[in-house]
Amino acid sequence: MTNSFLRGSITALLVLCCANSAVADHEHGSNEFEVFVAAEAIHGSGQTHPTGDDDTWFDADVVFGLTQHQFRVFGEYYITPEERDLERLQFGFEFAPETVLWLGRFHQPGSAWNTEHHHGRYLQTAITRPFIERWEDEDGLIPQHITGALFESRQPIGNDSAIQISGGVGSGPGLTKSQLLPIDLIDNNPGRHRLSVTGRIAYLPEYVGTSSAGLLFGHDHISSSSPFALTALGSSDVTLSVYGAYVDWTTGPWRVIGANYYVDVSLDQAMHRESFISGYLQFERQLPRKLTVFGRLENSARMQESRYVALFQDRDGDIDTAIRRNAVGLRWDYVRRQALTVELSHIVTLAQQSDEVRIQWSAVVP
Amino acid sequence: MRKTGTIWLLVLFLAAAMPGAWADETLVLIVSADSKVAQLDSLEVRRLFLGMTVTHNGERLRPLLNESDPRLKDVFLQNVVSMTDTTYDRRVLALALQGGRSLPAVYTDKALLLKEIALDPTAVSFAWAKDVQHDKGTKVLRVLWHD
Repeated sequence: MTNSFLRGSITALLVLCCANSAVADHEHGSNEFEVFVAAEAIHGSGQTHPTGDDDTWFDADVVFGLTQHQFRVFGEYYITPEERDLERLQFGFEFAPETVLWLGRFHQPGSAWNTEHHHGRYLQTAITRPFIERWEDEDGLIPQHITGALFESRQPIGNDSAIQISGGVGSGPGLTKSQLLPIDLIDNNPGRHRLSVTGRIAYLPEYVGTSSAGLLFGHDHISSSSPFALTALGSSDVTLSVYGAYVDWTTGPWRVIGANYYVDVSLDQAMHRESFISGYLQFERQLPRKLTVFGRLENSARMQESRYVALFQDRDGDIDTAIRRNAVGLRWDYVRRQALTVELSHIVTLAQQSDEVRIQWSAVVP
Repeated sequence: MRKTGTIWLLVLFLAAAMPGAWADETLVLIVSADSKVAQLDSLEVRRLFLGMTVTHNGERLRPLLNESDPRLKDVFLQNVVSMTDTTYDRRVLALALQGGRSLPAVYTDKALLLKEIALDPTAVSFAWAKDVQHDKGTKVLRVLWHD
């Protein structure tokens, strides 16, 4: 499939979704079109370019979907002043209710945070995402965008609860000088993209509820043709094995989101093996007047000793990878589908410390 | 005097027995008169209006949100979906973001909603009983809530 054909197909899908969603009285039963937008200001101490290495000052996440009988098409197109990227494009067939096989580019199911929030910042209470959950182009350490097949199923257990199973297999990112580079559906794809296998199994106390807890898994073969990476790692091939557990639980006004990942790194040619642990715990509490207060603790072990982690630190004075972060914030849903959020955080990286304050406006249109 | 009072009591009793008298505060689940759907339980209704797939005889059912009266939607969300309007909105947006699920179609015009339901045997919606009791194109599956 050529990239020009893909561009044409995506444009046609977007036009179709936009057109149908604009019909009088919202008669768009089988189509979906939403745009998640956000604008952010940041001030950080001890950083060279605090605005340059994390969230951009503005972004728009365009989500579109079509459902026809058992067939589904779904896409997510992310736009920032520096980037235009087709983050997800999935073609699915629903074998049975809530059991779908997708083909395309998807977010790997072994991430606790990204499978819930994706790129839509309005639906995420905090402004920032945990460092271990960062995307590849934000110096993320774990592959997140896979191109291949994704199986998803939610099956009832007993009267009210459910079990959710997701498994993905496909081509993962390659490794450039200091960044993972997933397959791009629109532009060129230099480098090798090798096998990625990811999955999750989760228990949901309510079939239609928001709470869940489960186990996460990822196994990624990563290749690099970068001389820099070869020198730093002593190997052009890396095998990442990720084992995790998570909980995302809501009870009354309280919500807790926690995840912990054990990451095993095997540098094939160097006969070297290392591992590190990274996790986070976020608490949220809804208050009167549509306010939500939140706090998050992120911590890690052995990241400082990892050659693989050090590769992502490009020593330009910006924050690429944090080993610890404490954050607190307040969100105000001041009007339907719009929110203002302020977040304060203290970050410890491999080489520096920093304090940050961020203010964000986020919304969904229409 | 006693006879007059008895007559009034009888009139009040008959009025109360007529559907129009209680239907003001009764929320009902409705489908097309041509629909083969005989019944949907509470969990199926919740799944359907949260954008999840609910099928009947292999046909995918299509939820239509009745927003012709603000109170109607509030009563439905609070008592059937068990969510506030804000929580419901965020939940369906999250499901749309996670897998492109279609949000339920929204109708603010009652006549248009009833016409759409009459034409589509897979459509499912809710309404005040008084608004559908004489409508030939729809049938009531069951009472969802009454005051």
